[in-house]
Amino acid sequence: MDTVNEINSGKGYAIVKIENLENFIQLRKNFIKNLNINSNEDEDIDIVREKIAKMNKSEINKAMINLLKFNNLSEIILNSFPKLVKQLCGEELLIQRRATVIMNVPGKGQAKQWPHYELMSGISPFTYVIWIPMHDLEENSGVYFVELEKSLELIKKEEAQGLVNGPTVLNMMSDQKPVPLKFGEAIIFNPFVLHGNIQFKSNLARIAYNVRFQSFKKPILQKNTDYLKYYKLN
Amino acid sequence: MTVASVTTDINIGPFKIPSNAQNMIMNNYADRNKISIELVIPEPMMSRSLATLQWIHNDRKLSLVILSSIYQLPDEGNKISEIINNMSEVNFHFAIEGLNGKGGDFLHKCIEEAKKFMKISMIDSTKTKWSELYEIKKNFN
Ligand SMILES: [Fe+2]
Repeated sequence: MDTVNEINSGKGYAIVKIENLENFIQLRKNFIKNLNINSNEDEDIDIVREKIAKMNKSEINKAMINLLKFNNLSEIILNSFPKLVKQLCGEELLIQRRATVIMNVPGKGQAKQWPHYELMSGISPFTYVIWIPMHDLEENSGVYFVELEKSLELIKKEEAQGLVNGPTVLNMMSDQKPVPLKFGEAIIFNPFVLHGNIQFKSNLARIAYNVRFQSFKKPILQKNTDYLKYYKLN
Repeated sequence: MTVASVTTDINIGPFKIPSNAQNMIMNNYADRNKISIELVIPEPMMSRSLATLQWIHNDRKLSLVILSSIYQLPDEGNKISEIINNMSEVNFHFAIEGLNGKGGDFLHKCIEEAKKFMKISMIDSTKTKWSELYEIKKNFN
């Protein structure tokens, strides 16, 4: 099955290689510079991750605020996958105004992401999500995915009980296996696929980006200009 | 040089936001961006020309204006050119979109974006079910 079909109607997600790695490496350099944590842009990413792992919550918040200056992150990420994005959505897109940066610090109070569908937030069924780590992932530190067929089955089962994200879904966390990824790889998935992450052990923070996008020619749901902007692939 | 926020009709593009909630949105935006609002301008309901805002600007010379959304900008030819001509020196901020800038190009871009979004079809979430959303996607052509 080709990647587009795999994402739309196969497993609902696919591991893909960054098409334009140079572009992405430059992005990582800019990211390191914009963090404003006394790192020059050529600093090894693992050293940056170690620094982040040692930061307290307010320092991390400050770094996140510094990253807000980075306001074309969505475009840069999508331009790292121009062919696939075009195959999925054409050239005219609605993209997330601000891509999400996730800095996950392991240990106590580690941000766990309980299982959810992206659709929950009110993005359109025609949306795709790219999740992309900034480094090789340590064991179990990535995101796990529940295949599309099973995810849809769960949606139906919950709906029959008048629930959305009820206990059946929330109790799935324990026995899930996150997808291992290397730097240069990403996961693209559709908004019906249930996913989340589990606790992992590491001395380094996990840094990843994600961005949502859809065709401009497909309907939207609840998210509007508050979340999306128009963008034409060049 | 005065900083103002503007409330409008409850219907803002696809959103329905009562004016007290508009104030909450703009006040929070101002807070986060360390802007202090000196004047709150209420536009009448059922009008999208921002005429009160422009009238006050002539008198008070506004330097910065906060609106809730780009959908509150005028969407008709002469009303668009009026605001662009009268207020090209004013910094505009749109809290919901998190956009800011000044000048004709910036305002035009915001107006065009709002118009583009108005053309996109919307799935009415009050008239669908979770299990139907996948079918909508599958059967769309
Ligand atoms: Fe998610």
